[in-house]
Amino acid sequence: GTAKMASAYLTHQQKVLRLYKKSLRHLESWCIFRDKYRFYACMLRARFDENKDEKDMVKATMMLKSGEEEFWSNQHPQPYIFPDSPGGTSYERYECYKVPEWVLDHWHPSEKSMYPDYFSKREQWKKLRAQSWDKEVAQLVAETPAAGPRTEALPPARKEGDLPPLWWQYVTRPRERPT
Amino acid sequence: MYLTPLTMTSSLIFIFLLLLYPVLTTLSPHPQSPDWATAKVKTAVKLAFFISLLPLFLFLNEGAEVVTTTWSWMNTHTFDINISFKFDFYSIIFTPIALYVTWSILEFASWYMHADPYMNRFFKYLLVFLIAMIVLVTANNLFQLFIGWEGVGIMSFLLIGWWYGRADANTAALQAVLYNRVGDIGLILAMAWIAMNINSWEMQQMFSAATTFDLTLPLLGLIVAATGKSAQFGLHPWLPSAMEGPTPVSALLHSSTMVVAGIFLLIRLSPLMEHNQVALTTCLCLGALTTLFTATCALTQNDIKKIVAFSTSSQLGLMMVTIGLNQPQLAFLHICTHAFFKAMLFLCSGSIIHSLNDEQDIRKMGGMHHLTPFTSSCLTIGSLALTGTPFLAGFFSKDAIIEALNNSYLNAWALVLTLLATSFTAVYSLRVVYFVSMGHPRFNSLSPINENNPAVINPIKRLAWGSIVAGLLITSNILPLKTPIMTMPPLLKLAAILVTIIGLLTALELASLTNKQFKATPNLPTHHFSNMLGFFPTVTHRLTPKLNLILGQTIAGQMVDQTWMEKVGPKAIVTLNTPLIAATNDIQRGMIKTYLSLFFFTMALAMFSLLY
Repeated sequence: GTAKMASAYLTHQQKVLRLYKKSLRHLESWCIFRDKYRFYACMLRARFDENKDEKDMVKATMMLKSGEEEFWSNQHPQPYIFPDSPGGTSYERYECYKVPEWVLDHWHPSEKSMYPDYFSKREQWKKLRAQSWDKEVAQLVAETPAAGPRTEALPPARKEGDLPPLWWQYVTRPRERPT
Repeated sequence: MYLTPLTMTSSLIFIFLLLLYPVLTTLSPHPQSPDWATAKVKTAVKLAFFISLLPLFLFLNEGAEVVTTTWSWMNTHTFDINISFKFDFYSIIFTPIALYVTWSILEFASWYMHADPYMNRFFKYLLVFLIAMIVLVTANNLFQLFIGWEGVGIMSFLLIGWWYGRADANTAALQAVLYNRVGDIGLILAMAWIAMNINSWEMQQMFSAATTFDLTLPLLGLIVAATGKSAQFGLHPWLPSAMEGPTPVSALLHSSTMVVAGIFLLIRLSPLMEHNQVALTTCLCLGALTTLFTATCALTQNDIKKIVAFSTSSQLGLMMVTIGLNQPQLAFLHICTHAFFKAMLFLCSGSIIHSLNDEQDIRKMGGMHHLTPFTSSCLTIGSLALTGTPFLAGFFSKDAIIEALNNSYLNAWALVLTLLATSFTAVYSLRVVYFVSMGHPRFNSLSPINENNPAVINPIKRLAWGSIVAGLLITSNILPLKTPIMTMPPLLKLAAILVTIIGLLTALELASLTNKQFKATPNLPTHHFSNMLGFFPTVTHRLTPKLNLILGQTIAGQMVDQTWMEKVGPKAIVTLNTPLIAATNDIQRGMIKTYLSLFFFTMALAMFSLLY
């Protein structure tokens, strides 16, 4: 089927679902014990399901607005945030260990000799990168619309034998958990 | 025994050298071995602990105290600054305790930080911190104390911001430094006043010469310093934010050693405070306010480390109350017992956090008693010691403090606040134990949770022994300097334990209410106040910078641009001269005939006056 491209405006469905999810998360922050949480979560789901077949968009938008206001007044001041999510306790904790790959060029030969396989192939990869760089840039220039790129997603390689644009940044990215 | 001074001084200097040696080995250009941290640092601290027991036993046996002046550093005709160490009652007892706790924490850190590529650097920072702390504790003059004071502040900054890739960690480290700096204003004020009026920074000289002065100003400066370093109300937000650092840092710095530096300063200089009622009352009221406020904040927090951090802040307030009661020795006793059980609480929390893959929220813990029975038992023992359960470590210090408070004819408001905070202590301690150890797990069973690693269990075991016997050991071997009041009505004697039991029963009732969950979102104003930390950080961290920025904008815009440039300076010249120019211009408007006739007329007048 045809996929819709995301724009800056949210659809009504997206807004309702976002409200539902954040209400559930804040409810989870309030109801610590799972069985009590499950009960109140089912009640909340029933409240949402009651109005799910509303056809009048004005009325639906007014209901959404009152729902957001109810969420705001009932939210938890310290909602539960997963440790690796933004605002969590171990978010960005390992950023200081994510060293960029050009540092590898500055290693001492004694250190480089500890990984002979990698460093023997590294020069070839760098030559390949230099060769394909102009083609990548040309592809990006050709494919980006005049007003600027619409999404952050990079296009795949179009021609046979080409490499996808900015492949070097992807291939040499640091691990999510460096240690 | 005439060898005593020699033995004491030698062993204490040897401790310093033993701790400095691993730091000095890092100055060599050759890289350290991978196990430098465990092989060198931990053994150095362990060895230093056993050596520090020798002066301790000499002191207990003979009452031997030593003051050693080793080097005349900066000496002028009028002022002397020396390197001098004072190994008296306070430092002789604190040093072994600090070394014991640090030894346990280093062993724990070798497990907690084993995946960190810079573990050696971490241990080096902890060791430098320990050296600075011991310099602070053994200082015989204010200058040396200041060196240790700043040293622990800087190491705190480096250790809180250990994971510097994280924005919150950098903010927290900066917060710690700034709040400590505000406190330092007070310390430097006190040092300057003392240098000007008493003309010496040595402790002995200060105590003997200060009797004739009104010491209110320097004492208030010292109280401000203690407010900054020991997180009293007003300069307290940095302590909960400091939980951004790894758990060994929180256990060592922000529970046992660094935060007590402010209280230690007041204890050291207590002879100056004894006769100044203003300073004592300030300490009493500030301490009472701190202990209640931070205990209130701890009631609704959900991050286990933050709860323990607020608990530390509350106990520091209690120590401040004790100083306000003119009982520095009781405050010191509480410092010593508190170090054991608070460090153990942090280590247990760290063990649980690591087992649950960095989960710190108590809403997603539970049932740890079945999974990690030893750790949760030690958590319970630590909490019991914290609340002052009879005959555990905390009882001997906390109960004595509350008795002294009850029997003093001082501020009743401070008494009420402190008793309320004592009951709150029981409430939040039960809350932690209830959500962490009891019930069913509320997390996914992703990692195999075990207690098989001796590097975790042995430190917690040692600190558990300390939490149980330390209070008894210290009180049975040390003579109190002030006579405690022995006879009092039963209600006053039992006040602390009654209040704790009331708190415990209330907490049990609240826990059962939480389990029933009558309301889906119990959003009460009191909960909101407590959860948002009294809105103190929300207001001060936004209002103070905003006012400063508005001041800067007013200066730049109103003062410089408008006033100096326009109304007074260059543009004023324009505004002043333009009317004059316009007036003169009107006169000189090309009326040639008038000018000529005027010219000839004045010429004729001049000729006439010349001729006649």
